[in-house]
Amino acid sequence: MPAIEVKQLCKVFKTHRKEAGLMGSLKGLLHRETVYKDAVKSVSFSLETGELVGFLGPNGAGKTTLLKMLSGILYPTSGSISVLGYTPWERKRDYQRQFSIVMGQKNQLWWDLPPAESFLLNRDIYDINPKDFQRTVDEMVELLDLKALLDIPVRQLSLGERMKCELLAALLHQPKVLFLDEPTIGLDVISQEKVRGFIQEYNRLKKTTVLLTSHYMQDVEQLCERVLVINHGGIVYDGSLLSLSERYIDHKVLKIRFASPQSASPPRDLKGVVEWDIHHAEIKIDKKEIAAMTYRLLGDFPVEDLSVEEVEIEEVIRRIFEER
Amino acid sequence: MKKTLSRYFSLYISFLKHNLKNEMMYRANFAINVGMDIFFMLVNVVFFSILYGNVETIGSWNFHQTLVLVGTVGIVRELAYLTFRKGFLELGEYVRTGNFDVMLHAPISAAAHLAFRHVSLTESLGEGLMGLVLVGYGFVQLGNAGLSSIGFYLLMLINSLAIYYGFCLIINSLVFWLIKSQELNTVVYYFMNTARYPRDIYHGLGKAIFTVIIPSSLIATTPATILIGRAEPALIVLTVSVAAVFLSLGLFFWNRSINFYSSASS
Amino acid sequence: MKKYWTVFRVNWQNALQYRGPTFISILGNLLHISVLLYLWNAIYRSEQSLGDYSLSDLMTYYILQLMINSMVLSYISWDIGNEIREGSFSNYLVKPLNYLHYWFTINLSGKLFEGLMILVVGAVLFFVLIAYISFPSSALSLGYFFLAMILGGILAFEFDFLIGILAFWVVQIASFKYMLQYSMFFMAGALLPLDLFPKLFQDVANALPFRFLVFFPIQIFLEKETAPLQGLLIAVVWIVVLYFLLRFMLRRGITRYEAVGR
Repeated sequence: MPAIEVKQLCKVFKTHRKEAGLMGSLKGLLHRETVYKDAVKSVSFSLETGELVGFLGPNGAGKTTLLKMLSGILYPTSGSISVLGYTPWERKRDYQRQFSIVMGQKNQLWWDLPPAESFLLNRDIYDINPKDFQRTVDEMVELLDLKALLDIPVRQLSLGERMKCELLAALLHQPKVLFLDEPTIGLDVISQEKVRGFIQEYNRLKKTTVLLTSHYMQDVEQLCERVLVINHGGIVYDGSLLSLSERYIDHKVLKIRFASPQSASPPRDLKGVVEWDIHHAEIKIDKKEIAAMTYRLLGDFPVEDLSVEEVEIEEVIRRIFEER
Repeated sequence: MKKTLSRYFSLYISFLKHNLKNEMMYRANFAINVGMDIFFMLVNVVFFSILYGNVETIGSWNFHQTLVLVGTVGIVRELAYLTFRKGFLELGEYVRTGNFDVMLHAPISAAAHLAFRHVSLTESLGEGLMGLVLVGYGFVQLGNAGLSSIGFYLLMLINSLAIYYGFCLIINSLVFWLIKSQELNTVVYYFMNTARYPRDIYHGLGKAIFTVIIPSSLIATTPATILIGRAEPALIVLTVSVAAVFLSLGLFFWNRSINFYSSASS
Repeated sequence: MKKYWTVFRVNWQNALQYRGPTFISILGNLLHISVLLYLWNAIYRSEQSLGDYSLSDLMTYYILQLMINSMVLSYISWDIGNEIREGSFSNYLVKPLNYLHYWFTINLSGKLFEGLMILVVGAVLFFVLIAYISFPSSALSLGYFFLAMILGGILAFEFDFLIGILAFWVVQIASFKYMLQYSMFFMAGALLPLDLFPKLFQDVANALPFRFLVFFPIQIFLEKETAPLQGLLIAVVWIVVLYFLLRFMLRRGITRYEAVGR
């Protein structure tokens, strides 16, 4: 049985439109126009136990809405979800003891107290027996390198340190399923790297099913073998990152450095030129024509250095998102 | 059931401890809070002593009897801060920022989570202490009721707390639509503020309204009648029934609103 | 001037967004006042009285107070204090805006909005309440009353602004502010008419400007004020004095703010 199974999930939000300006406000007093917005449109997917899957999508694509429905904070307009056999929005205590959600922009730690205090409280909320609790804390503190920070009030911690503590607090009850909403948002490069490394290690050690959203490409690139790309509320791609670029991109990029200065404009019959000056050239080439084109360029120009590169994954994603 | 109760009790204790630790981080605040509470209670006493400078009785209550009323409101307020009150003051912020989500995915009831998260011994301690002093002073000055009435008085205090909680739940259920709790809690504030006038000032329609719609006339008057030796069985039965109704209605509205929140928040 | 008109409009729209909460806070006030009306009624029914007030005088006093609460009394110090404490005050330092005038505009539009709301509530309750109100016998008193309300509104703003900018000097302002605000409230005659107080207290209250917020306008309406014109003049003097004091304090406060660099 899959750990998470989502079928035909839809969520429609109702909002009111308000016209700008004083007259608009006054009109709004008398009559409000209702607007329906499809936040999630007929989404289906499933995750096996122990998988680490990334949700990719621009802001407003519906990622957070999906995570909220998976954790029972929101209930859907139609469709079904089963996580570990539970329907999340029934909010059964047994389910709540088996998953965790960490939202990068919200904190659940007590601002003025050291993180250790918040951990103790979570121990009581989640009914964790003291032995297991201590063992988990010790283990996580080791993994996250938090030892020196446990007794410092949260407000004095850096954003990265705080995020690590949030993660620890969320993992105390050893959830079987973990939802991470933008866990690296706002962090500096080093902290991002650490948080990422921890998630990877934790998933490997505990076989926890992890679903994470992020708009940092590196997060997904490093962590997830499988990605779900979501745009305008629907899943547009489900599969590995590698085949994502194979499927969407039919070209590579050829970069050349000339041995001596060349004419400032490219030959007229050369197609796909992205950049061209007297020292450098960058050319988009159809995958089928790479050999022929390379041969021609090497013949026509004094080439000092030449490389054939895959299109960057961010570029791939951008292309998908720009498609309507 | 018993297991759930004891679990919630121990949760309450650990939240209370955490909040105390938190309050100790700001010790100066604590002193100021107590001072401010005592100041406000004194203003109330001054208000009534000016009134009683002009009149003998208000709705057949004399000055010392009224002091018991004023004190009772203070004690109920402190009890409320020790259980549920402050959470509601923060609710608007929770809903606005979306942090209320945390209360929905933790394995503890959202109402209890919100209440426990902000239980405070010190927030209204000054009012509670002043309340005890006033009630004690009035009780001794009057000397109308025996010591045995104290236990019964305490029971009715708990009952008043239940009415207060039910009323808070009903009013604060609206936060999920208004996204602002400040004004709603002004209503709750006035609700408790007006509880210090004796129930006997109302008549006709007003009496009905302030009993069954805005049950503020019962909060202090019913417990106080016991301490001043005027206990009426009918009033006590009425107050207990109102408490039961308000508590059930409150929980009903609250649960409905949470369902609304979880269908509409984005 | 144009920029303040824009501030006025934007704040008005913001207030419109929160018309529900505003309405609810008026209901809260209404709850309070109606309990007081029952209180006075109970006292007069048992054939007692307060000072030389008739029952309808007292009723009028508190109904007008409901109006004054929304239209005159100012509650901006909380926001001002927060802006200063949390540092968002810096946003104003870099803008070509006068902080005092800016908040005056915000307050004005807020008060007018609340006034509009209270008119709606008042219109609904008018027929219930009309029996209890003692109206002034001359149009002149009514004119003086409105003038006194306007002056009271300006004074109330000045006091509240003063409390707000104390945040430049005092770190823990909340409790301090509440106490100050509440004392003023008391001394303004909002809780009880000032002439019911003991003699000594009355003398103190008469010497202070707070009575112009509540007690003075209502006394004019009830035609109990013997020298309305003189009172109005004194109010104007207070407004001017406070204005210069505020400007001075604001300048000092800003200097301090920049030095501390919060």
